Amino acid sequence: MKTELKPCAVTYGATLTELGKANPDIFVLEADLMKASGTRPFMEAFPDRHINVGVAEQNLVGVAAGLAAMGRIPFACTMANFLSQRACDQVTISVALNKFNVKLVGCYSGLSQEKNGATHISIMDVVIMRCLPNMKVIIPSDHRELADVLTFASKDIGPLYLRMPRVLPENLFDNSYRFSFDKGYQIGTGSDLTIISNGISSSVTVQALDGLKKEGINARLIHLPVVKPVDAGLILKAAAETGAIITIEDHSVYGGLGGLISEMVSESCGAIVTRIGLNDVFGLTANLDFQLNYFGISVENIVKTAKDLLRKKKNKYYQ
Amino acid sequence: MEGKITELKNIARQLRINTFKAITNAGGGHYGGSLSTIEIIAVLYFGIMKIDPKKPDDYGRDRFVLSKGHAGPVLYTALAMRGFFPLSDLKDLDKPLSNFPKHIDRLKLRGIDVSTGALGQGLSVACGMAISLKQQKKANFVYIVLGDGELDSGQVWEAAMTASKYSLDNLIAIVDRNMLQIDGLTEDIMPIEPLKDKWTAAGWNVSEADGHDVSSLYGSITGAQKSKGKPNVIIAKTIKGCGISFMEGKWQWHSGSIDEDQYKACLQELGDGAGI
Repeated sequence: MKTELKPCAVTYGATLTELGKANPDIFVLEADLMKASGTRPFMEAFPDRHINVGVAEQNLVGVAAGLAAMGRIPFACTMANFLSQRACDQVTISVALNKFNVKLVGCYSGLSQEKNGATHISIMDVVIMRCLPNMKVIIPSDHRELADVLTFASKDIGPLYLRMPRVLPENLFDNSYRFSFDKGYQIGTGSDLTIISNGISSSVTVQALDGLKKEGINARLIHLPVVKPVDAGLILKAAAETGAIITIEDHSVYGGLGGLISEMVSESCGAIVTRIGLNDVFGLTANLDFQLNYFGISVENIVKTAKDLLRKKKNKYYQ
Repeated sequence: MEGKITELKNIARQLRINTFKAITNAGGGHYGGSLSTIEIIAVLYFGIMKIDPKKPDDYGRDRFVLSKGHAGPVLYTALAMRGFFPLSDLKDLDKPLSNFPKHIDRLKLRGIDVSTGALGQGLSVACGMAISLKQQKKANFVYIVLGDGELDSGQVWEAAMTASKYSLDNLIAIVDRNMLQIDGLTEDIMPIEPLKDKWTAAGWNVSEADGHDVSSLYGSITGAQKSKGKPNVIIAKTIKGCGISFMEGKWQWHSGSIDEDQYKACLQELGDGAGI
């Protein structure tokens, strides 16, 4: 990947510390991963609003629920795999069913775990969180967007899941772009096909439009940070206008972004969808670039997939 | 004081009758673990907790977590008797789309602080509440009732350590120690003794009470309120199914249903009709 990536911990810690100055109800909760989340500055500024429960993710979520029950605004962070898998029932019952105002932050999400490998790479956090009633799901792609999402989360009321990779680029999009909870962000107006991505995958897809153009393929890109509630209008318009969609995510292709778009399109205009991501496999012990390439999250694979997809579209999807 | 204890005894007796009727009217349910918590809930809701049925959302109220959410009928009945809603509403218990689902739901009924039902989760939530109160230097307490079966769950002990770390002396836990869980005796299914030592080792003040003696419970809870620096747990020794002789001490009556003749006999045993 050509884009320079920086640790999200810097922005997470700094933004929450700023938000914490303005709002005395903001709490930060950790499960012995302050080093990963970067909230030491918050702890130093507001020691009585920084809670560390140790390696106990289920308890982390429960304590956050209790703080929210008192009208406080807890940001509970641990690795995305542990938050969504180990604490799944606590997220479901203590947070989502209760509709408590808990901000769940899954750090080191997806392939950004790199060499920590299969035990740590979250491949189902998006589908788990997306299935939960009352839960909002947001997956930012750069530091500016991450800061905007954190500010949004601090003001929004209700359960929210923020998928936060270990690293993201500082500023991936045009300066004119700012995060909007209601809207996806479309780049280009190509009518051959639509590429949809979020999170770290958007760093790859923004580079793919040029590569596709060289091959004579006129694509549009939709960066979709909010997967729930989704900007259905933008997606369905793209599906109708292009008839072909590629989704890309560092997550299982089952039920994540690819699953979401497939569900939406199959219930409406019936565009053909190809899902790039982890297809019924665990992550690897390897660095980020290797894993992204291995799982097809690369410009080369997007171009190849686009050609295949357009052939299927032309042949009315049968071949 | 004596008058208060007599009053609590009478309230508990009526709470048991009304709870029993509500469960039976619903076609049966969790008789065992509901009837074992009667005196605990009676003492909390009629003798201890600062709550106002006219202002159920008052921020200055005490909080309550029924971690064993399947004892919901007792809490519903206590809230009704306390004036949060008419007692006649209890006819809706377990009815589809009603505000009285089997496991308590805070979004359906004012007066419920936390929806529970998945065992083992309540103490963490209670810790969060107590941390918030302490950080704001509020004088309120958080009370929680735990089943003994749910103490098998690891999360309870994660939360127990958290309460100790943050010196949550505004948190008072009461364990409904009826010695039974769904599949049998707690000490057969998953031994949790020595329970007192476990809580002590986790950094809690521990006391024991007769869970069916309102005076014993009242004394233990007011004693816990005064103790500073550590969270407090009261191990309340109870009888599952207390008050109905054929249910008492029988794990088979964790949940179940009864017929019309049994219902009449049970009401007679509970002294229904004698008034408060």
